Amino acid sequence: MNRAWKRWVPAAAVPAVIAAGVLAGSIPARAGDPLPGKSPAGVLTLLGQHSTRTFSGTLEQVSELGLPDLPAGAPSSGPVSAGGPASIIELLTGEHTARIFMDGPAKMRVQVMDRLAERDVIRRDHDVWFYNSKDNSAAHLTLPAFASDLPLQVPGDPGALPGRNGSGQNGPGREGPVPDQSTQAFPTPDDLAAKFLAKVDSSTAVTVGPDVQVAGRAAYSLELAPRTEGTLLARVVIAVDGQTGMPLKVTVSARGQAQPAFEAGFTSLSLAAPDDAMFNFAAPPGATLKELPVPPVPSVPSVPDLPGKPGMTAPDQDPDRVPGDAAELRHRDGPTPTVTGEGWETVVGFAAAPDGQEAQLAETVLKDPLLSQAAVVVPGGRLLSTSLVNVLLTDDGRIFVGMVPADRLQAAAGTA
Amino acid sequence: MLAALAAIPVLIAVAVRLSSTVPPGRGPAFLDRITQNGLFVAVTAMLVAVPLFLPLTIGVVAGDTIAGEASLGTLRYLLVAPAGRVRLLLVKYAGALAFCLAAPITVALAGAAIGASLFPIGPVTLLSGDVVQPPEAALRLVLIAAYLAVSLAGLSAIGLFLSTLTVVPVGAMAATVVVSVASQIADQLPQLEWLHPWLFTHYWFGFADVLRQPVLWDSFASNAVLQAGYVAVFGALAYARFVTKDVLS
Repeated sequence: MNRAWKRWVPAAAVPAVIAAGVLAGSIPARAGDPLPGKSPAGVLTLLGQHSTRTFSGTLEQVSELGLPDLPAGAPSSGPVSAGGPASIIELLTGEHTARIFMDGPAKMRVQVMDRLAERDVIRRDHDVWFYNSKDNSAAHLTLPAFASDLPLQVPGDPGALPGRNGSGQNGPGREGPVPDQSTQAFPTPDDLAAKFLAKVDSSTAVTVGPDVQVAGRAAYSLELAPRTEGTLLARVVIAVDGQTGMPLKVTVSARGQAQPAFEAGFTSLSLAAPDDAMFNFAAPPGATLKELPVPPVPSVPSVPDLPGKPGMTAPDQDPDRVPGDAAELRHRDGPTPTVTGEGWETVVGFAAAPDGQEAQLAETVLKDPLLSQAAVVVPGGRLLSTSLVNVLLTDDGRIFVGMVPADRLQAAAGTA
Repeated sequence: MLAALAAIPVLIAVAVRLSSTVPPGRGPAFLDRITQNGLFVAVTAMLVAVPLFLPLTIGVVAGDTIAGEASLGTLRYLLVAPAGRVRLLLVKYAGALAFCLAAPITVALAGAAIGASLFPIGPVTLLSGDVVQPPEAALRLVLIAAYLAVSLAGLSAIGLFLSTLTVVPVGAMAATVVVSVASQIADQLPQLEWLHPWLFTHYWFGFADVLRQPVLWDSFASNAVLQAGYVAVFGALAYARFVTKDVLS
């Protein structure tokens, strides 16, 4: 009998060894060479100086915004692949992985990994290609000459420029049946960091936390926390690479939620120049091809001014692009949006324009099956609620957006 | 059984050939590419076979290993020979593994063959939109088959263990298939998200990463580690059960 029991030892030992291995692996590896201590200002300087434009890496993005989950298993998600707001929502739920290859400011490639599919954006100098394997469609865009020295100012460009939001004029849904530009809802940590840092003012406490390891690199963790209680945003943590100053990971936490509401960071990163052949692209045979119009000229010069001047333009309220179309409206000629509150408590209101475009927008939003499912009816309108941003669509066509609790939006709607 | 697997790509190819054009985005992924390139028959067939047909055949083979001999009454005679139970178990598992390799390769070969005969063969568009020439495309097909073979190793270890539990081979076969289906269902439930990386079916569809440019090896590696873990655990269980078992029949 004793002998028989001994035979079962391996069967018990193997799971034990595996469990031990997993536990050992889950303990965060200590940075072998700790980074020299830096003050928040020092880290900010390091971050501001970084000029890493040549790298390849894998980005992972996890969202817990409280939006309805799409069936992740559905291999062919028909309506989602159609582009428009739904595909952005799709990128804002669950987990997504993308590979990014960059070589200088004018060559880049982003591959958003979908299940059994992929969406690509490839840029080499003036040529920008979009490709979606789901419906085998490609689109091409030739950048005007003046844009060639500007790094990455393509509509639908998922690249890494702080002011990229300004190109929202050409955002999805406005361009017609472009294959899929929703890759632009795949922000790099660089993008996000720039967005949040642009908002840092006296209402934000900036601290440096313990060093972290991201993608195998030692990084400073820069913490931004609003000093006010009146916002949904609890904390933003930016992992800043200790060597290059490149943001490696951005974690956005919402109040009353243990998991981060939004997280985007590198899981692997190489600073070597990617293979040049990566940036070669031609429409594959059999693909439907579309030539895109060149983005309008005026959009470009205005771009760099947008963030960081909350007093002059409406501050950027949509780090996660949920009200992406609202950002689009903001930069259009038309009635100036009303701004109430300040700092992180800002509420931006859009009046119903005479031409009814806002109402139209509200209608498109509500027509989308996914969004209308997410929107709940509240007194005075409908509320699109996420853990970070609330959007109130009033019955009379006005839209209020803010990183604040819903009752504040309603109050703003009541007084405006 | 391999012939039944080979029938899948044939069925797909003939159906696509006879029907009008497939609208993009409908049906299983890659189906709309078949008319442009016959090699996609193999990819589509493997995609279709992954959730049920491949586990079914593996379940039959792995579930039959020990229980089949026991039910026929031949297990006793096998063990009379001075070969040892461990060796018998290893040989039986090696046989199941050989089938794991043979099954996806059969689907790939049959798919490529029927695709070549019914449709044009040409440069293949990868998921990334890059185009590769047929020789490299064939290499990618082999890689997919290898990925699937690795994916099925864990399931065959489970089947081997279940087969040592019973003398009714059908019971072990059915149980193996049920385990694979249950695991795939659990993989779909967001409530069990913490469990997903531990399910042996979790990376089964990751073979599409082989079709990216450059090839994304992450899922291949994760899958191999996961399957090795399943082989170790259920191999040890099967060993413990088999060497302590009273073999009467």
